Amino acid sequence: MMAFFRSPWPAHWGRKQRSNATMGVAVVAMILVLWLLAHLVALAPEPIGSNAQAFAEGARVTVELTLVSGVFGIVLGVLAALGKLSRIPPLRWIAAFYVWVIRGTPLLIQVFFAYFALPELLPFVKMDEFGWACVALSLNVGAYNAEAIRSGLLAVPKGQLEAARSLGMNNWFTFLDVTLPQAFKIALPPLVNNIVALLKDSSLASVIGLVELTNTADLLRAKTYLPIPSLVTSAAIYLLLTTVMTHFSGAVERRFDIEDKLA
Amino acid sequence: MTSTHGMEFANDRSMTAAPLITVDKVTKAFGSVPVLKGVSTHFNAGEVAVIIGASGSGKSTLLRTLNRLEKHDSGRIVVDGIEVGDDPKALDALRAEVGMVFQQFNLFPHLTVLENVMLAPRRVRKLARKEAEGRALELLERVGMQAHAHKHPFALSGGQQQRVAIARSLAMQPRVMLFDEPTSALDPEMVKEVLDVMKQLASSGMTMIVVTHEMGFAREVGDRILFFDHGCIAQDAPPEQFFGAQEDERVRAFIGQIARQ
Repeated sequence: MMAFFRSPWPAHWGRKQRSNATMGVAVVAMILVLWLLAHLVALAPEPIGSNAQAFAEGARVTVELTLVSGVFGIVLGVLAALGKLSRIPPLRWIAAFYVWVIRGTPLLIQVFFAYFALPELLPFVKMDEFGWACVALSLNVGAYNAEAIRSGLLAVPKGQLEAARSLGMNNWFTFLDVTLPQAFKIALPPLVNNIVALLKDSSLASVIGLVELTNTADLLRAKTYLPIPSLVTSAAIYLLLTTVMTHFSGAVERRFDIEDKLA
Repeated sequence: MTSTHGMEFANDRSMTAAPLITVDKVTKAFGSVPVLKGVSTHFNAGEVAVIIGASGSGKSTLLRTLNRLEKHDSGRIVVDGIEVGDDPKALDALRAEVGMVFQQFNLFPHLTVLENVMLAPRRVRKLARKEAEGRALELLERVGMQAHAHKHPFALSGGQQQRVAIARSLAMQPRVMLFDEPTSALDPEMVKEVLDVMKQLASSGMTMIVVTHEMGFAREVGDRILFFDHGCIAQDAPPEQFFGAQEDERVRAFIGQIARQ
């Protein structure tokens, strides 16, 4: 499958051009999928066809949930990883506590907690189900990202820091120009894993009433008493979304693969 | 040999004012193992000092204390009027003036050769991209690497990587260059190309402190040989004296051992 998709590009194109093209195509494909999904699903037999609009809407919510939580999750992951590696003990404790709690409790509990308990604890924050679902998912994926990023940061050789420091570069530029790009490359495969898992885990947001892809399918199942068509349709759409995402991240990985190890 | 390509270094070998680097009673221990036992010396501008000695004798550690890659436990180090200490601003300023070349090259693998040389001048000296690129290309030409400017380090041989690393350090226009066993990780056939660049640099008047096992280089290029033994400078002499009729038994044994390799 991967081999089939690998090289549709002209033979003289370099690694950067190929991966840029793949990323571009994947982004366009994702937009097209969301845009054309309603028309595509409308071709399906009843009871799916007449509910195509609802499936398309659910898929859009799922993708939005994944994108928003994914971005916040990476930011949280970087912060928590830096916290865990910090020289300041309280920062280390906070980061370790966060990762410990999130990884040690079920995501379902976290989603419930975000929706029912957080508004009580933070009465001044006004958000709908989508917002609270993003909070729960961001916090969850952030904790897993933290471990991936931490191992990436630790894998950058000490000599790299010494070289940067010996050139007079300060902490900030050493981190930004030398450590982070190399750590990111090492952390990329586990990060991609986490984001693909996030797309699937976002289905848990259905329990707080958010009408995303899973909830759409479940509502239709309840209405029609036909479990097979509605669940198969939602599963197929998840598969389509994760496939596009995997190709996008594969292209990102190849873009960073300056040594042509993936060839 | 004359300086090539118009890169001028301010150092003049005839200048003998205050020493560029003063090392005063410096000690350093790793855990309970002392590696520097009260080392005192100084390095003058325009001088090429070669530090030799057995591994574990403290020669690399002394070099690394000069730009604080290692902290010294006691004593004072003053480089170009800046005391080597913990203040981060002063430390960054000091390191900008002290170039360092490592045994393992330590090029940035995610950047091209050109980007490796351009990075620090842009970030530290705040040079514009164009200016940094011009300076980088000039230096790459000087070390014979301009044809490889757009390659990544993994595509280069060890000798080529080390020449790029020298150019990267020179791009900061440092007052002094530290070399920490620059040829020890190289295949024998690549040692010469790196030593040639270093000789050319020495003849342009650059102040250099070189930790090495290359006795030929020490004899030919060095103004001074410092022999390290068990955390002390056991001998500090001009090369003709050092490699001549040597009275010190330990030095004779060391030179003999290196020569046999």
